[in-house]
Amino acid sequence: MNKTCNSKGMSGNARIDLFVSLLLIAAAIALPFMIDSRYVLGQIVLALFYATIASQWNLLFGFAGVFSLAQMAMFAFGGYATAMICFYFGWNVWAALLPGALSAVVFSLVVGLACLRLTGVYVALLTLAIAQTMYLLIVTDTECFTMVGSICRQFTGGAVGFARFGDLGTRALLKGQWLVGNYAIIATLFAVTMVVTYIIVKSPIGLAFRALKDNPGYAVARGVNRFQAQLLVFGISAFFTGLAGGFYAAHFQAIGPGILSMSQLMFIIAITVVGGVGTFWGPLVGTIVLVAADELMREAGEFRTLGLGLIIALSILLMPKGLVGRLGDLLSWLRHRNRAAASAITFQEKPATTGK
Amino acid sequence: MLDILTAILIAGLTTGALYALATVGLSLVWGSMGMLNMAHAAMLTLGGYSAFTLCTVLGLPVIAGFAGAILVGAVAGGLLYVLIVRNLLKTDKATFESNVMIATVGIGIALENAILLTYGGQPLKQPISATGSFILGPVSLPYQNMLIVLVVIALMAVIALLLGRTRMGRAIRATAQNREAAQLMGVAVNSVYFQVLVLSGAIAGICGVMVSSMTQLSPPLGNDPMLKAFIMCVVAGLGNLPGAVAAAFGLALLEAFVQYVAGARWGFPTLLFVVIAVLIWRPAGLFGRVQIRRM
Repeated sequence: MNKTCNSKGMSGNARIDLFVSLLLIAAAIALPFMIDSRYVLGQIVLALFYATIASQWNLLFGFAGVFSLAQMAMFAFGGYATAMICFYFGWNVWAALLPGALSAVVFSLVVGLACLRLTGVYVALLTLAIAQTMYLLIVTDTECFTMVGSICRQFTGGAVGFARFGDLGTRALLKGQWLVGNYAIIATLFAVTMVVTYIIVKSPIGLAFRALKDNPGYAVARGVNRFQAQLLVFGISAFFTGLAGGFYAAHFQAIGPGILSMSQLMFIIAITVVGGVGTFWGPLVGTIVLVAADELMREAGEFRTLGLGLIIALSILLMPKGLVGRLGDLLSWLRHRNRAAASAITFQEKPATTGK
Repeated sequence: MLDILTAILIAGLTTGALYALATVGLSLVWGSMGMLNMAHAAMLTLGGYSAFTLCTVLGLPVIAGFAGAILVGAVAGGLLYVLIVRNLLKTDKATFESNVMIATVGIGIALENAILLTYGGQPLKQPISATGSFILGPVSLPYQNMLIVLVVIALMAVIALLLGRTRMGRAIRATAQNREAAQLMGVAVNSVYFQVLVLSGAIAGICGVMVSSMTQLSPPLGNDPMLKAFIMCVVAGLGNLPGAVAAAFGLALLEAFVQYVAGARWGFPTLLFVVIAVLIWRPAGLFGRVQIRRM
């Protein structure tokens, strides 16, 4: 249905995407000048992290159809790798970011080799199990690896994690305005991630991902190698997720096993689902809506998680394509109505001319 | 040596029985309707807490607690169908699998959190439990463990009879084999789905009581058995009930053994490695059949 009007709709969609992104860039630059509150800016930085992870989960699930529940595990792996390189070898954070992201890619490829022979739910279950194992192994790690002063430190940091291994250098450079500096860095990370994701989605390999999602049998019959293509998208998504993990560790100057908890993963899934699975702008829209809802529910305190769960369930029930999908429905309905109105007018004219 | 071995054996068989019960609940739903119920853990917890409410808070006898847990579980399963699954089934079949998973994830979180808000986070004692043990020469069998294994065996027999001998069971099996054909033969597929979810909810309720009687009641109670039940389902091939039971006992014995030899924290990772190895060898699970898909 949609495919028939693709050639015509494509350029229009690209124009809309360009317009939206220019608007967003302008907003992103204006933001630090409009916001004084340090708390709000801090929450915005956190939201940018969520948006980055969600966009990569969306690339994996929404575009390539791989239902992986190890997204936060990739994020944690990148963050932990960066923190551990800094902590054990005393590297500068900036130098450790790329190795951290690459180690997340290696981890994802190992996980992918084990899981991606399978399909659908099996992938979801195995990746969930792997993420949980990672969490359990870190939390229950009690063996001393090194001694820091008189305190025993575990290799993985144990239940406490790592702290004070360096930062992005903005504190020394910008003094009191360091948060704005970090905001600029994370916003750039998000922008670069989105641009690369856009290029991937629109490229031939992106089409292969989508084909595998929509009809695996047909795509394989037309010569798409499912295992290789899905391993590739797994690796790409892990790279940006791991990189975001490194920046996360550097921004907060700390990383612990808490980011591997189920509720964090659920938040990412909720963001993507509410925004719109398989839509390019979905994760960003979802982040804005859910972070705002989260802030409002913070007043309600303990009901926050309850509300989040209900939001996930209700949004999949009421709008399976998310807010962006609903917006698209609305637009096409308006267009349809306009066209109907236009044709109604021509119909009215006709009898008038023949009657003459 | 003998007492260590029997201890491992008893622990393995008891947890195996619990895992088998959790696995059957999941596998039944998957096999007949292609739905992965991520809210199963919360339904387990719900069962455990409703038995607690009836016995400890209201002071009713143990049997009422059991019945209450079954009833509450069944109602939860029924509500899940009426409120969520029925509506999702109307949508595209291709997206149903992932949509229902995400939706039940949300329900699961909400339910677990509702329990946390109602009862608080502190661990509570499950009233339905037996104390003491049966001494047989050098071996001592705790009554609690015997009770669990007996209850699970009885339940398995009931489920097997229900699926194998009744009209409802025949409809469920027909739907599992081929939904369209069953529908064409006059099976009311939607009411089969409803029955399956009610049945699985009831099983989850009992399972919750049993699990909490081994440990304690806490809101995340169901998560650990469910994670392991997932793994066992995957090993056995999703939807294969006898295979799931066999995998549950086998893996639970392995886990008990590894936990004794290498320490508790290596139990789960070892299971995972075994599972991954099995899946690389047989991608559809040990007992699963490779499906031929037509386009």
